[in-house]
Amino acid sequence: MNINKLRQDFPFFQKTLNRKPIIYFDNACQSLRPQSVIDAVVNYYQDYPACGGRSMHRLAAKVTQKCDEARSIIARFVGAKRKEEIIFTRNTTEGINLVAHSLGLQKGDIVVTSDKEHNSNLIPWQILAKKIGIIHKIIPSREENIFGLEGFKKVMNEEVKLVSLGFTSNLDGVTIPASEIIKIAHQFGVLVLLDVAQTAPHHKIDVTALDVDFLAFSGHKMLGPSGTGVLYGKYHLLEKLEPFLVGGDTVVSSTYDSHKLLPPPEKFEAGLQDYAGIIGLGEAVRYLEKVGFENITEQEHTLNKFISNEIVNIPHLHIIGPEDPSKRGGIVSFYIEGVDSHQVALMLDESANIMVRSGQHCVHSWFASKKIAGSVRASLYFYNTQEEAEIFVNQLKKVIRVL
Amino acid sequence: MFCLLALIVLSILGIFSATHRQLAKEAFDCVFRRITFRPCTTGFKEKMKAKLTGKILNRSPFVARFLNRHFELVSWVFFILMVASTFWTVKGAYNFYLYGSCNGLNETGFCAFDPSGENNKVSQIATSCSLEKPSEKDLTLNGVDLSIFPIRNPDAKDKIIFIGCYGCDYTRKAYPLIQKLIANNEVSFIFAHFPVKDETNFLSEYGYCAYKQDQERFWQFNDALFASDKQNLGNKNYVDGLASKIGYNLTTIDRCIDSQETKEAVERQFQEISKTHVYGTPTVFINGKVLVGPKPYRVYERALKGWRFW
Repeated sequence: MNINKLRQDFPFFQKTLNRKPIIYFDNACQSLRPQSVIDAVVNYYQDYPACGGRSMHRLAAKVTQKCDEARSIIARFVGAKRKEEIIFTRNTTEGINLVAHSLGLQKGDIVVTSDKEHNSNLIPWQILAKKIGIIHKIIPSREENIFGLEGFKKVMNEEVKLVSLGFTSNLDGVTIPASEIIKIAHQFGVLVLLDVAQTAPHHKIDVTALDVDFLAFSGHKMLGPSGTGVLYGKYHLLEKLEPFLVGGDTVVSSTYDSHKLLPPPEKFEAGLQDYAGIIGLGEAVRYLEKVGFENITEQEHTLNKFISNEIVNIPHLHIIGPEDPSKRGGIVSFYIEGVDSHQVALMLDESANIMVRSGQHCVHSWFASKKIAGSVRASLYFYNTQEEAEIFVNQLKKVIRVL
Repeated sequence: MFCLLALIVLSILGIFSATHRQLAKEAFDCVFRRITFRPCTTGFKEKMKAKLTGKILNRSPFVARFLNRHFELVSWVFFILMVASTFWTVKGAYNFYLYGSCNGLNETGFCAFDPSGENNKVSQIATSCSLEKPSEKDLTLNGVDLSIFPIRNPDAKDKIIFIGCYGCDYTRKAYPLIQKLIANNEVSFIFAHFPVKDETNFLSEYGYCAYKQDQERFWQFNDALFASDKQNLGNKNYVDGLASKIGYNLTTIDRCIDSQETKEAVERQFQEISKTHVYGTPTVFINGKVLVGPKPYRVYERALKGWRFW
């Protein structure tokens, strides 16, 4: 993979701040976009800015066709059996909420999550527990934040209705043994929902091989436009789900006192959609496939290994998650005893244009339980370079010496 | 302390920049919490501390470390400096309003409101060598016989003594303002000509003779000289033309100028002016207060009327 050539596809890398290049290490929050994705979005607004799936004129037909193409591309991307299993959402959070509110959970139903879920996979269950009385069970992680498979096995039984887990953690980059978890869950007839927001941009996912029931991810973390997301669901399950958001373009017909819903995916895509975003997301997937996941993971691991080795021995600095960087994907999340993580992030930004995330990364529950105020998170992607990693390490050491 | 300091500085910057306006709002929120006895939990101080330290880090890690460790102390120092500079700025503005100079009456230091120092400039009078710089403090009317100079409205309570030179730029700038002051107020006005330019030396004798011939017409003549192009003032024919137009008898004036009595009278006038220790023109005494250089009108008015000028 020629990184310098790939970087030319990203107009962002031509930008500078105070005449210095910008080092973007906040990819777990949102990735950068290649020109082809930007062009796809701009072309929609410039050339055929019409409604899809409604009007009959030629512009509308083109929008429908382009969105349909995007759906097919994404279905192929995740290994879905049919494109109707792909529902467009605004983000992963919306996908998880859709399942949570459409699954028909009853009082006493058990939902299982891990102890380091993003708020998007925690709050919906807490609210349902309060509203209708579901039971929310949390699996504690093992040492080094590894998924507690033994604890999971102990919790599983026929009363569990759903296992909802983050495939790759945005906190520390640790990926769970999803295939094994799904097998165990299915032995008890339990459905599995995976949050793959931090997986889909970095690893090949095959929903058919995994046999996962639902899967949600965001477009903006994988080169796509912001405000785009996908929920995958097995078709026969989607047919049974009651949509929690209904209205325009979700019904075949309606009378004053009745309506007939369209089949999936339309029944879940209420109202006018983000056509530009959907088309852009299709283009982003095309681009990712062109780069190749082997190249992506190799570059991320190389950089993660370099950064981890350089900072691991800094006194009072703790890397969250496994010591082995290859188990943390593209994420290096760390905290320094007695130092405010925001201060480190702001100083990296102000002194060297290095953009990293600081705070609790929407995993407040984990930080609260460990009594850690927050961490600095450098999240890498295939377009980040060794030179950037070196600048980051040197500048971080400089910052720490000052604090 | 930092939040208060930031609020003041960012509020000023916020007038020109939306980014700073947002930061000013955050600073205000922090200050408001503190004055309502609540903790400032917005993280504003920490954010600004990190930003400032980050900015300095590449230039000087030592300074960055010092700032990080002693941020509150540095904030206090800057706060005190800000209060002091605000005091001096207000004092400067006050002085400028009252005296036309930020540094006080007749002081010539730099003033932001009058950067070229126009309000204190004078046409220097060539005096004998002296080690000490002439000072406004030495200017006085004590022992000066003012009765030998042209006077107008001698019975008025308020008194203005104007020492000036017909051909000098700064006198010509101040003269119309003093005339406006006289026109608007009941004032006794004495004019003493002290020629700084050699080519206008003869105007002292000319003026003496004009005043001697007709006191009322003298003031018209005086005004006409100041209204004339200064290039013409060295030309006696031009001055004769002005005097003639006003109604003076030129033969009488010429005779007067040539007389020994006039020469002695003018010489006496110079001697009396010297007693004031004047070092430049214009120098204006208004009820005993000395104003050196062409001041703004408000300064003359306040010197005459005190706080009544409001």
